[in-house]
Amino acid sequence: MALFIYGTAINTGKNFFTAEDRRNFFLRSYPGNVWVVGNSEKGALWLAEKNGVEKTKAEAQAIVDAEVTAAQAVYDALPEDQKNRPGFNQRPTAITLP
Amino acid sequence: MTTYNELAGFRVNYLSADPTLNSGNEGQVWYNSTTGKLRSLVQIKSWAAGGSLSTARRALGGAGTQTEGLGFSGFTTVNVANTEEYNGSSWTAGGNIGTARRYLGGCGTQTVALGFGGQGATAVSNATEEYDGSAWTGGGNLTTARNGLAGCGIQTLALAFGGYNGTAAVANTEEYDGSSWTAGGNLTTARYNPGGAGTQTLALGFGGYSTANTNVTEEYNGTSWTAGGNLNTTRRSSAAGGTQTAALGFGGYSTTFSTTTEQYDGSAWSNTSNMATARTGLAGCGTIQAGLAFGGNTGSVSAATEEFTSSINVTTAAAWASGGNMGTTRRAMGGAGTQTAGLALAGYSTNYVNATEEYDGSAWTAGGNLAQQKTNPGGAGTQTAGLCFGGYLGLTATNSSETQEYDGSAWTTTGNLGTARDQPSNAGTQTAGLGFGGYTTAVTNATEEYDGSTWTAGGNMGTARTNLGGCGLQTAGLAFGGRTTVNVANTEEYDGSAWTSGGNLNTTREALGGSGLQTAGIAFGGLTTVATGATEQYDGTSWTNTTSMSTARRDFADAGNSSSSLVGGGYIAANTNATEEFTGSFVTTTASNLTTS
Repeated sequence: MALFIYGTAINTGKNFFTAEDRRNFFLRSYPGNVWVVGNSEKGALWLAEKNGVEKTKAEAQAIVDAEVTAAQAVYDALPEDQKNRPGFNQRPTAITLP
Repeated sequence: MTTYNELAGFRVNYLSADPTLNSGNEGQVWYNSTTGKLRSLVQIKSWAAGGSLSTARRALGGAGTQTEGLGFSGFTTVNVANTEEYNGSSWTAGGNIGTARRYLGGCGTQTVALGFGGQGATAVSNATEEYDGSAWTGGGNLTTARNGLAGCGIQTLALAFGGYNGTAAVANTEEYDGSSWTAGGNLTTARYNPGGAGTQTLALGFGGYSTANTNVTEEYNGTSWTAGGNLNTTRRSSAAGGTQTAALGFGGYSTTFSTTTEQYDGSAWSNTSNMATARTGLAGCGTIQAGLAFGGNTGSVSAATEEFTSSINVTTAAAWASGGNMGTTRRAMGGAGTQTAGLALAGYSTNYVNATEEYDGSAWTAGGNLAQQKTNPGGAGTQTAGLCFGGYLGLTATNSSETQEYDGSAWTTTGNLGTARDQPSNAGTQTAGLGFGGYTTAVTNATEEYDGSTWTAGGNMGTARTNLGGCGLQTAGLAFGGRTTVNVANTEEYDGSAWTSGGNLNTTREALGGSGLQTAGIAFGGLTTVATGATEQYDGTSWTNTTSMSTARRDFADAGNSSSSLVGGGYIAANTNATEEFTGSFVTTTASNLTTS
């Protein structure tokens, strides 16, 4: 059985996920509103209740990759003095979903 | 029907509500007339995962306690000599045993342990070795060489019994006085791979294999063995902790790898909560209240550690939960206040902003604007007595020395920082603030102290850095992480005049947040090579990992304390408006409903 469920869902704010959710199953968000959820009954129910759209891992990774690529393009278009400003602008690096 | 009064000799208390729950109520029974339930405060028993052994192995020796455990020797694909020491959360290497072997006996403490017998590379062993917390030295040999023996007691008053001499199961018992072994009374049932607990003169042996797996328990009085109550689950190669009259037996092999845990009260075994990992040939130590299981055979060698706890208290794990989204999606903010009265200020959305937002524990609302649009200022104080200083004025591309105070609705400009700087860190309050580190034309170690109107120079940090985390008070500050020319993990502690080094972060990073006090701090998020959600708690000496944020991010607003923190906004591959609230682990005492059976 796969360890995770992949999907997209919009974080609506307070109580979108609770401390109890976090204690009950793995939950991480990534660029592009991608959520990686522990593959359990509670995890699957959470994604469904949040109007999440389930994706394959490859589909979810493609969404994240597109977000990172877009962010890299924004960075690359910055003036040199902005690029070199320590700690503020650093070129986004690839993110690999678990 | 027999009544409680007839059984116990007194009536059950009739209460309209549960009494104040503490250890004084343990074992008491009362009737809650409001809920209509018979109630009691009983111990809750459970296993929880501990830190894994560095070397997965089976048939190893064990000694010590749940928070000071010792695992040594054993078998991977060959006999190994490694010793590992457990501190209640993780294992670190100790000195290697002289003779690598498996199915050996062990007893004692983490710093005064004994290992004896076992199966060497080619033959059963009679070797005894003594551990002093760092190295093993030879002791007196067992009279009967054997493997699969049990051991209990301490290094200078040890007991070895049962085992396999290379030909058959044996009943021999031997007593160690710190230098040599002498014969004790034989077990009634010869067996190998029994469990053992207790002391040299009050020992317990149970289970094992004679001609088949056995459930037989025997009790030793220093001279002879007598029958005790049988195990509920017949098995061999289980581990144990505790005493003759309060023992814990766990794991082993019945007809399959076992998770079964039983506790002995001096006459009978009863089942209790089972381990998560079924295994045989594991090691164990500790007590019936606080046991430790580690290593073993699950079909392959295991590194798993589990901790058994029996307590009236239940610990609820720390967790992050989502909060209300910020009104303005942005990064590179300052933060102040608490989880339920937080403040996020300045930052960068699609441009530099001077907006302030106030959090009430569920939603953000707009507050008064700062005088200037800036990123990465220092923020301190409370929602109604906030402080904002330094940062980067993007519209003029200059570092800021500006200081402003917030009264809950508007910002007022006060005395400037001595050193204009970007990305300073912060601690303290509006009238006793602390600013340290940051970037001028290079990373700086400069510290300044604020008294409510002016800044004066404090002691310099040992490591100049920018984009670091900070928390604490003006006279007890904490600085951690950040960036020199590379990310650093350094922690420094401020006493009101000078910085001294503390324990390093586990995750090296910059652009992180922090809250709490110097002796109860928390660090979260930041940038390693990618944004991270890693969260660590500081106890005044070292950092311990706890649960991560759901949304990894850097350059966010931070507020709160070590048990109740707030994160708003930040950046991963785009700015975010997501908020997360941290709740530290907490302990509760909970009464249970009693049911008929």
